[in-house]
Amino acid sequence: MDIFLQQLINGLTIGSLYALVALGYTMVYGVMKLINFAHGDLVAFSAYVGLTIFSQLFGASAVSFVNVIIIFLLTAIIVAFVGVLLERLAYRPLRTAPRLSAVVSALGAALVIQNGIMLIWGPNMQIFPADLLPSTTWNISGVIISFTQVCILALSAILMIALYFFINRTKIGTAIRATAIDQDAAKLMGINVNRIIMIIFVVGSMLGAIGGLFIGLYYRSLTFDMGWVYGLNAFIAAIIGGIGSIPGAMIGGLLLGLFNALIAGYISTEWAETFTFVLLIIILIVRPTGILGEKTAEKV
Amino acid sequence: MNKTTLIATIFILVMAVFPFTVDSAWLSIGITFLVFATVAFSQDIILGRAGVFNMGHAIFFGIGAYTTAILNVHFGLEIIATIPFAIIFPVIVAIVLAGPIIHLRGDYLLVATIGFNIIFEQVLSNDLFGLTGGPNGIFGIDVVRIFGYELFSDKAIYYMAFGLLLVTLLIIRNLDNSRYGRALYYINKDEIAAKSMGINIPYYKLFAFALGAAIAGVAGSIFAIQYSAVSPESFSFMQSVMFFAIVLVGGSASLPGVIIGTFVMFVLPELFTEFKESRYLIFGAAMVLTMVLRPNGVWPASFGNIPKYLKEKALKAKPKGETK
Repeated sequence: MDIFLQQLINGLTIGSLYALVALGYTMVYGVMKLINFAHGDLVAFSAYVGLTIFSQLFGASAVSFVNVIIIFLLTAIIVAFVGVLLERLAYRPLRTAPRLSAVVSALGAALVIQNGIMLIWGPNMQIFPADLLPSTTWNISGVIISFTQVCILALSAILMIALYFFINRTKIGTAIRATAIDQDAAKLMGINVNRIIMIIFVVGSMLGAIGGLFIGLYYRSLTFDMGWVYGLNAFIAAIIGGIGSIPGAMIGGLLLGLFNALIAGYISTEWAETFTFVLLIIILIVRPTGILGEKTAEKV
Repeated sequence: MNKTTLIATIFILVMAVFPFTVDSAWLSIGITFLVFATVAFSQDIILGRAGVFNMGHAIFFGIGAYTTAILNVHFGLEIIATIPFAIIFPVIVAIVLAGPIIHLRGDYLLVATIGFNIIFEQVLSNDLFGLTGGPNGIFGIDVVRIFGYELFSDKAIYYMAFGLLLVTLLIIRNLDNSRYGRALYYINKDEIAAKSMGINIPYYKLFAFALGAAIAGVAGSIFAIQYSAVSPESFSFMQSVMFFAIVLVGGSASLPGVIIGTFVMFVLPELFTEFKESRYLIFGAAMVLTMVLRPNGVWPASFGNIPKYLKEKALKAKPKGETK
């Protein structure tokens, strides 16, 4: 039973990371109907940026609460800037082009970011410092929870609730939802679609950046090609929840994290990805629109 | 003789005399080019002609290679005798895998095929049934024997690959002129219209998958013969992304486009080993740039029998239209 509870906690932690990254996919897909293959690599990039900011700015000095906030903010801003740049250079010129052209452009952008990381930081594994967050752990009747896990769970929950209100309660959120439904109609209503897409990339990249930093804090080892793994898992999470749906991405992320942790805990780690993709394919066959996805008139 | 035929003839003649003009290093690059061009053409049947988003094509290439390797090393079959299996197995796998998902909308199909490719990688590197040899793959594949003659020289392998490429081009030419080719063309152009015309869409899409898988399987077999070894990383998901990109960067359903794509993606890196480090960065930037400048690919298909035939027919039907 303890193992089960422990895997439950680990699964929820990984699940919130997936959910944070999945939100970036689902928002871009919802509005632009494009799989942003570069998003996963952007997440990996943010972990490297965070690491560099930490070692450059606060190399030897003691890590304080304020410093951690500064690292998170700076990383989020830099990654948001790269995300907007990505949209400008690789996606905007292709908005009216055949759909596959945008897919290839996204794959190309993913290769550029991934190998850019390799050229800047080198092909070897980088280790995230352990003393960024307090290494306190609590032992609650055999189940171990670390401070990092609590941080990840709490902050992801706060961010997701904030995003939910941003999308559903604010004026910009309404404009985003309108653009997702029909871009042309949104334009007729005076919505600046280019600006909305830019906002989506800013918000998505920032959430991805926080996800990337958490990945660095939680797993501590970074490789230049880790973006694919997290990107694909987050994308699967978005599909499970129903791509285009923001609560769907959150639920999908949590479910996928739990599923991964239970598979790793009880069945096998070598075949873990196989189980993930078998789950994905079963979901695609049974309910292609995901758990919270709306039934579209278009035949899938 | 029109321009297309002329270019094709020159290309075939140059490729035919190529082995006699170069050293062994270049010859092996030539074999790589032929094998990957064949796989890219088979991907083009699925992606370019049928319009099915397939990002797991390395699976069929890999099954072909592993079939030859396993049957030869573990079961002692002659290489020539393994080739029919390297055609049949990928076809069976293509139909079994694609069957349940073929009705999915483009992007979902893309992700499902990525999933299959990653499962395939795990099967290979986890040494399923002790046959695939784990992460190191299988070594020591025999040389090709035909009636007791050993064909072990690189030249022999080159001509095998060249023969396969020619057969593939012939198949594509016949496909374009056939009922099946027309059906695929209409499915790609407008699926709903094709359906309302009574075209059995899943059947033709599966047909494209099976044909592409069969050709990729034989190419895989020759790949295994060339290196006399197979290992999982040659058939990874990244390799599938490359085949996917070749077809779209070059120009889908375009023969010169696919040739150019293969040359840029697989031959240039062999020539410039200095930039191996930044190779994928340059490719990535080139992919983005090509798509931005030419969304339909470097050399898009502007010819092709069906559109031209239809155009002429449409012009004839017009009362004041000119036929030429």
